[in-house]
Amino acid sequence: MKTIQVEQLEKIFQVKKKQHGLSGSLKSLFKPQYADKTAVEGITFSVNQSETVAFLGPNGAGKSTTIKMLTGILHPSSGSATVLGCCPWTERSKLAYRIGSVFGQKSQLWYHLPPLDTFELMSRIYELRREDYKARRDNLIERFELGTYLHTPVRKLSLGERMRCEIAASLLHRPQALFLDEPTIGLDAVVKQRIRELIVEMNREEGTTIFLTSHDAGDIEKLCDRAIVINHGGLVFDGQVDYMKQQFLTHKTVQLVLENDPGELAAPGVSVLNQGGCRITLSVDTGITTIEAVLAALMASHRIVDMTVQDPPMEDIITRMYGTFQVKEVSL
Amino acid sequence: MISLSKPAKYVFIGKITLRSQLAYVADFIIRSLFLILILYIFMQLWQTTYSGVGSSSINGFTFKQMMWYLVFTESMVLATPSLCTRIEEEVKSGDVAFKLIRPVNFITFHYVEYMSEVAIRFIINLLLGSAIGLLLVGPPPVGNGLVWLPLLTLGGFTVNFMLGMLVALSSFWVEETRGLEFVYNKILFTVGGMLMPLELFPDTLQKAGHWMPFQTIVYFPARTAVSMHHGEIASMLALQGLWAALVGSVIWLVYRKGVRKLNVNGG
Repeated sequence: MKTIQVEQLEKIFQVKKKQHGLSGSLKSLFKPQYADKTAVEGITFSVNQSETVAFLGPNGAGKSTTIKMLTGILHPSSGSATVLGCCPWTERSKLAYRIGSVFGQKSQLWYHLPPLDTFELMSRIYELRREDYKARRDNLIERFELGTYLHTPVRKLSLGERMRCEIAASLLHRPQALFLDEPTIGLDAVVKQRIRELIVEMNREEGTTIFLTSHDAGDIEKLCDRAIVINHGGLVFDGQVDYMKQQFLTHKTVQLVLENDPGELAAPGVSVLNQGGCRITLSVDTGITTIEAVLAALMASHRIVDMTVQDPPMEDIITRMYGTFQVKEVSL
Repeated sequence: MISLSKPAKYVFIGKITLRSQLAYVADFIIRSLFLILILYIFMQLWQTTYSGVGSSSINGFTFKQMMWYLVFTESMVLATPSLCTRIEEEVKSGDVAFKLIRPVNFITFHYVEYMSEVAIRFIINLLLGSAIGLLLVGPPPVGNGLVWLPLLTLGGFTVNFMLGMLVALSSFWVEETRGLEFVYNKILFTVGGMLMPLELFPDTLQKAGHWMPFQTIVYFPARTAVSMHHGEIASMLALQGLWAALVGSVIWLVYRKGVRKLNVNGG
C-alpha cells in the first residue's frame, strides 16, 4: 500500500472580485462577483513508505494547498487522495494520530510555557501511554539536544531552538508520515544542517515518510531522493532529485588556473563569470558546447595548471527549472 | 501506543490554558480596574433613580441588591474573551490548521480553553468587584442564591460560549465578524439583563426576553445571587442546559458545513 496516493486532485477557490473605486466597492457590496481560482489542477502522484519527497514549486504554485488537502484541513473540489489508507478530509481525526506536521512559519508550542509543557500536552492529545511517552520524550530530548532549554518559556527561545522543539513535538507520537512545510525557513546554516541531519536520521531509523516543501535548495539536496514539482496548480515534474539535476543542469561551472594570463576569452556557449589574471571561472552551456570542446580549445593555446568542474548550486537549478516552466506556459 | 483517555486530554488542555493564562494576570487585574468606574457610575445613576422614585425598592430590587446584581453581571461580562477575534485570527493567520490537524475536537478544544480563561478572569473580577461592592454599599444580601452562583455561572458561560462560537464560526465564510459580535454583545447588555434585571423591562420586552437564550447567561446567575426565588433553580438550570444543547447542535452543523468551505489563508 502506498503511503500517499493522489488521483486527479483539484482545488478551486472562489475569489471575490472587486472593482476599482467607491462605486466598484458599493457594487460588490450589493452584487458581489466571484471568480474561480484554480489552486491545484488535477494532480496525480503517489509516495511509498519511507520515501523522502520534496514537493516543489514557485510561490502560489499550490504546494501548501496540496499539503492542507493531504492533512485533511482543506476539502478538495474534486479528485481523491488517501494517506496511510485514510481519506484525509473525511477521516481527519483517525489520520491525525498517524501523521505529523511542521509548518515553519507557524508555531504549535505554547508561547508562555516551556517546551516540556507542550510535549506533555501533545502526549495527552495523542493519547500516548505514560511510559511510552516518557521514553520517547527522553529519546527525542537527547537526539535533538533540547535538555538545556526544556524549562525555558518558548518566547525566550531562539528560532533554531524553537524549531528543534517544534520538530521533536511533531515526532512524539511516532508518525508514519511527516509533512514539513518550510521547516528551515529563517534558520542559520549550522542549525539548518543539524535539523536536516535529524530528519534524515528519523527517516532512516524509523522509516518515516517525509513530504517536504521548501524553497531552500539545501533541504532538497540533503533530505530528499525524489522531487515532485508543481507550477500553476499542475504537476510538471516527478522523478529522482539526481535526474532533476541532470535534466535542468544545462550549465557547468569550470574553474581554471592557467600558466599565463590568457587575455580575453570568447567562445560560443561560454561566458566568463570571473577573471583575475591566470585564475578564471567559466560558465559552460552544455546545450551549446561540451566541456571537452572548451578544454580542448583552451589547451591548444594555454597550459592548464589546475582545473575543477562543478555543478551549479541546486538553487540555480530550481530557478532555471521554474523559468523553463514559465516560458513553456507562456508559449502554450 | 494509544490508550483510551479522550476526556483526559481536554482536562489537560484546560489545565495548560490556566497555566498559560497566569502570564496575563497583571493584564486582567488592570482591565478589572475598569469595574471601579462602571460600578461608580451605576451607583450614581441608581441612587438618583431610587431617590426620584422615592421608594426603597424598584420592582422588588433594593438599591443594595441592584448594585450587587451589577457586580455579578459586570464581573461575568468583563471576564468573557472575544471568541470572534480568536477564531477570525486563527482563520486569517492559518493557525486554524493546527487545531484541525490534531486529534482534538475543534469546538471542545475552544470550549475548554474559553472556560479556563473565563474562570481566572471571573475570579479576579469577582474579587475586585466584591471589594468595591463592600466599600460602596456593604455586604451582599446573604441567601441561598449565592450557593447556586457557581453552577449557574458555569451554565451561563457555557451558553455564552455557544452563542459566541456560533457568531465566531461565521469567520469560516466572511472576513470580518466583529460587527456581528458587537450586535451580540449589545443584545446581551440589554435583553440579556446585564445592565438591569429583566423585571425592570416593559412587559412585552420582558416576555420576549424569557423566550430568548440571552437571559440564561448573566441574568440567571446574578438574579439568583441577589434575589433567589424558591423552586426556580431547577428550571433555570434546565433552561441553560436546553439552550446549550440547542445552540450546541446548531454550532456542530455550522462547523461541519464551515470546515468544508474553509479557506485557510497562506495556502
